Amino acid sequence: MKNKKSDNAYRVEIRGASKSYGMLKALNNFDLTIEPGTFTVLLGPSGSGKSTLIRSIAGIERLDSGQITFGDRVVADNGFHMAPEKRDLAMVFQDYALWPHMTAFENVAYALKRRNLDAKEANSRINEALERVGLSAKGPNYPFQLSGGEQQRVALARAIVGRPSLLLFDEPLSNLDADLRERLRVEIATLTREIGATACYITHDQSEAFALADQIGVLRAGELQQIAAPEEIYRQPANRFVAAFTGISGSFLGTVIESHHHEVKVQLGNQKLECRTPTKLKAGDSVEVLIRPSATSLSHHHSNSLPAVVLDVAYRGRGYEHVVECEFGVISSVFAHESTPRGSRVEIYIDPHNCLAFPSEKRAGESVEIPELSHSK
Amino acid sequence: MASDLSDIGVDLQSRMPFLDDRGRARRMIHKIRVTPMAVFWTLIAFILVIPILLFLSVAFSPRLMSQGHQWFTLASFKPVFSGEYGLALLHSLILGVVAAVGAMTIALSMAWLVLRTNTPARILWNTTIFALFLAPSYLIALGWQRLFEERGVLEIMGFYVEPIRNLLYGPVGICLVLMVKGIPFAYLVIANAMRGLGEEFEQAVRVHGGSRFEAFKVMASLLMPSLFSAMAIVFAEAISDFGVANTLSSVGHFSVATYQLYQGINSIPVNFPVSAATSLTLLTLVILAILAQNRALRGRSFRTLSGRTRPATQTKLTFFGKFTTSTYIALLLIIALGIPVFGAVSASMLQGLGGLHSHYSINFGNYSRVLHSRFLRNPLIYSTEMSLITATLAVGLAAIASKVLSSARNSRSKRFVDFFLLAAVALPGIVFAIGYIFTYNLKFINDLGLHIYGTSFLLALAYTANALPSTSRSLVGNMGQIQESMMDAARVHGSGAAKAWVDVTMPLIARPLLIAWLLTFSGTLLELPVSELLYPPGSPPVAVGIELSLAGFDFGGGTAIEVLSILWALVVVGIAFFLFNRFAPPGWKRLGNLR
Repeated sequence: MKNKKSDNAYRVEIRGASKSYGMLKALNNFDLTIEPGTFTVLLGPSGSGKSTLIRSIAGIERLDSGQITFGDRVVADNGFHMAPEKRDLAMVFQDYALWPHMTAFENVAYALKRRNLDAKEANSRINEALERVGLSAKGPNYPFQLSGGEQQRVALARAIVGRPSLLLFDEPLSNLDADLRERLRVEIATLTREIGATACYITHDQSEAFALADQIGVLRAGELQQIAAPEEIYRQPANRFVAAFTGISGSFLGTVIESHHHEVKVQLGNQKLECRTPTKLKAGDSVEVLIRPSATSLSHHHSNSLPAVVLDVAYRGRGYEHVVECEFGVISSVFAHESTPRGSRVEIYIDPHNCLAFPSEKRAGESVEIPELSHSK
Repeated sequence: MASDLSDIGVDLQSRMPFLDDRGRARRMIHKIRVTPMAVFWTLIAFILVIPILLFLSVAFSPRLMSQGHQWFTLASFKPVFSGEYGLALLHSLILGVVAAVGAMTIALSMAWLVLRTNTPARILWNTTIFALFLAPSYLIALGWQRLFEERGVLEIMGFYVEPIRNLLYGPVGICLVLMVKGIPFAYLVIANAMRGLGEEFEQAVRVHGGSRFEAFKVMASLLMPSLFSAMAIVFAEAISDFGVANTLSSVGHFSVATYQLYQGINSIPVNFPVSAATSLTLLTLVILAILAQNRALRGRSFRTLSGRTRPATQTKLTFFGKFTTSTYIALLLIIALGIPVFGAVSASMLQGLGGLHSHYSINFGNYSRVLHSRFLRNPLIYSTEMSLITATLAVGLAAIASKVLSSARNSRSKRFVDFFLLAAVALPGIVFAIGYIFTYNLKFINDLGLHIYGTSFLLALAYTANALPSTSRSLVGNMGQIQESMMDAARVHGSGAAKAWVDVTMPLIARPLLIAWLLTFSGTLLELPVSELLYPPGSPPVAVGIELSLAGFDFGGGTAIEVLSILWALVVVGIAFFLFNRFAPPGWKRLGNLR
């Protein structure tokens, strides 16, 4: 999707941002740059600091230290804190934050007050915003008369109606069902790019992040682990956490037997597996092998494959996803156009380009921890 | 990753060196500017904290306020726990607990009947609640007294009422009046919380196999913060009540702590240190109640009101259900309001009551006297003016205080406000008034040019401070139900803090705010202890006017002022609700209504 950069879209820069709640460090000397008119998704698990970050950008939270600038404008700088209403931004909240005493129309109209438009122009913009989210007939309804999806659409209309320079999204889809989430995701992507605002979106759902973002920042414990285009995050994760949090279907412990630049051969029991690695490894190193879902397929290839037994199979419309168990553990999301019955013996081909090896302190045979994912890509 | 960022980031400081100086200057300005919260804290300090602390300090340090020779002593506490004082304290404690539990139970049942059922008698309840608020405990007690006293209305009518009189002038009668007075406090807290509780919680229990009773238990759990708040308020109100102490307690010789306090202040020589020590002990009892409340809740707070809340539906009662519930409500009405009103109205229409002669007649002569006599009429006008000012000021401050109290963060300011507001609830009005007399007669206050003792200004401040604790408490439940993201949304979409509050918070709590305003107005209109000690010479408020009439054995004139004052307050309440229902935007009225 091509971005239509608005003239007044902000370039957001965050430098050295820190914020603590008592002993808990929510943000730890955090740096981030968001280019104007781009869509940045901040991805991280609960407690990674993403909510604190977006609320600090909005001005709802005060940073303990650090600086935030919108273009040339400093909005937070150690003791200085610009009030949220002066930052010219809009935000979509996780719980919608619609005002229950106002109709859908009034909720949207509220965000336009700061533009001081004449009534005709304002009404036209409000109706246009409601129409763009498919709710032109629901203007007179109160929030309680709307479904969850409709409420979030009103919140979206409220955010875009003022054509803000910066749009913030605080996990806006997490309260919605899967189908609605997907439809609203598309609406968010298209509408945001249409108005050309800079967008910052936080989520813990990696599939949502990959679908929406021009760039993804992965957060952990108040620190930025990596920021890059979705493709780079997926193909060249900076570390094990980023790789694991952005979607894997299995992981095994092994030992490096050959290393050549970023390509390694890993011994897994009696099997040998070719992988890539973003770090330098040498023969004899203990490694954890993370397998991307896109790396696996049911195959008759004999090179770089693992023997396994099908545990489960699920129909996914365009084909079947299998869960298989091999000698070293379970691999999920193994795609095939044809179904293979449960209990069948199969060979799982592992594409070396989507199979990543990271140094591990654990040795083969020990269990490994994988971050909990809402989806596998 | 930081290295990656430094590649694409810029050195902002080197590009914009002025940022450092500008930031420093802004920080300095930020430090010295007068914020609304600073004004709030200053007001709280002057009207609440300083007078309370100065008076209470006498308990430990009589010399500080020229009430003795010692800078520090605990001797003032000795009499509090022995003899008459000790017994009075025990009586107050027991009465407070019984009144709190009783009032909360009745209020919970009434809230459910009125808000969640179609029982026909519910339409009477809102009027009853306001009437109960309007009538201070001393007026309710006086109503009962006029009926059941020797040579009272019922004896004149030929009834034998001595057994009831004996009950009335003892713990049963006192507890009954305290409970009746506690019901409206408890009801408003619980009903407001119940209004914000959508039906989805109840439905969730039922669809998961829970019975109607199970659903009720879940609702009760969600209402638990308001139930505990209700009990804490009623307990605090009961043990600090002065009206009953001044009437039933003194006549019946059943001593309570506030009556002992009053006696301490009126005895010669005045024993302020012991009064202060008694007040501190009462405070401790309330603090124990708060601790018990906090322990029971363990910091739980249920934020149930949001844009997604769906209004609850009504339970349709059967004929038998309607009959039973209506009988229950009618019985409550008769006990709480019917009897005192009948007592007051009959006494006000009875010529010759209180006199020694045996000829009585029934007419409106007493009302005519009140309306035509400046001496009897002016107190009502003066109290109306004072009540308008007090209600507006107190509700404004209470809205801020309740916002601080309902904040999810357990900040220092929250704990401070919580402590002082609840402590102030426990302080009897008369003690509060003495604190004002002390403070605003102090030399350094006069040196500051604040010559406000004996003025209407000081009376208004005292009324406000006196009303603030309970008004704040009544708003906390509603404020706590508002999801903070709604205010955040208003801020990020272009409204300043004040505008966001007016646009978002105020409409959401418009009804509770209106109710709080009316309660404060009504409470101030008939307030007794603060009025008695602080009214400006020549300008007696209503309560003092009534007292003066009764003291002069003009029972008919006194009760006529009483009835007219309550009617006037009801008229104001009626007008306010009419205006709200007529002119408030539909969205403001929707919240709390049934679907």
